Amino acid sequence: MDPTHLHLLLNHVPTVGFGIGIAIFVLALVGRSNDLKQAALVIFVGVALLTIPTYATGNAAQTHLQDRGEVSDGTNEGMVTLSLIETHEGAAFLGLAFMELTGALAWLALWQFRRTSNVSAGMTGVLLVLSLATLGLMANAANVGGMINHPEIRGAEEVTAFTGHMGRVVGDYVRDTPWTWIAAETIHFVGLSMLVGIILLIDLRMLGFMKQVSFAALDRLLPWAMLGFAMNTFTGMLFFAAAYGQYTNNPAFFWKLIFVLLAGANTLYFTFDRSWALEPGRDAPMLSKAAAVGAMFFWVGVMYWGSMLPFIGNAF
Amino acid sequence: MQLAMTVFAVVLGVTLVVAVFGFLIDRSAAGHERKEGR
Repeated sequence: MDPTHLHLLLNHVPTVGFGIGIAIFVLALVGRSNDLKQAALVIFVGVALLTIPTYATGNAAQTHLQDRGEVSDGTNEGMVTLSLIETHEGAAFLGLAFMELTGALAWLALWQFRRTSNVSAGMTGVLLVLSLATLGLMANAANVGGMINHPEIRGAEEVTAFTGHMGRVVGDYVRDTPWTWIAAETIHFVGLSMLVGIILLIDLRMLGFMKQVSFAALDRLLPWAMLGFAMNTFTGMLFFAAAYGQYTNNPAFFWKLIFVLLAGANTLYFTFDRSWALEPGRDAPMLSKAAAVGAMFFWVGVMYWGSMLPFIGNAF
Repeated sequence: MQLAMTVFAVVLGVTLVVAVFGFLIDRSAAGHERKEGR
């Protein structure tokens, strides 16, 4: 399977999948159903995670098409132009940023719900507006992207979008200014420390260490871990936009993405785990312990494949 | 030296913004706990 096929498969998730999530969210609000609301929030988080490989495979598909000589600089009539691809990339870049913000807030709402059996009206309103804006941006990206694969709907004029070539503008800025990459790299490590530090602490408690510490106390640390993950997602977007060629040909990067998805699924499982209600001194059930071992393996795996980027493949 | 100062200022600024978000989330969670008498 080449990256073009993978991108064509995944690119329905941020549009169709997210649209289904919004429909369930609206149904939950109309029907006042907490179960439906939770289901919609899980879909938002899941789609936000899957949008990361959707975006990454987009640039991989571009490289693949360019290598096969199927992208023109705008002079060959009937061929896909680089400008069209970069317009699609720009629309997707802003869509991805909004999608990750929506996913992070949806996770926060799930966390809030587990603690209080309620999602505040403010959070619900923000999520509704943000999710609709995200769907609009994703529809914009999908509309331009569709023209790459469907010459029959492409007109003679150059395709433009209000997002311009945002992905290239941001990527070139990061690549060409001396401080941006270094600052983003430092922030990436701060985020990593927050995320993995807190996750490992919680996993150790799940496994039976530090039993005098209550799960409720550790639970309060989780939003800090999510803030760390958000920092890393946004700085990761900057790295990828600046030098996507170093990632799309790199097996370590795709393994890293797979481990991020597995770790994300594990995090979603823990949102519904029953251990959080246990009193200090109590032991977590076996299933929670197994999930904690999984979390440690997946997050260490994310760090491992990230560290391997320069050593496996061709990055940097 | 100027590069080091720029990077330091950016990292500090982003960290402070994240810290404010974290503080607001934590304060909101503490408010809920007080309401529930936990």
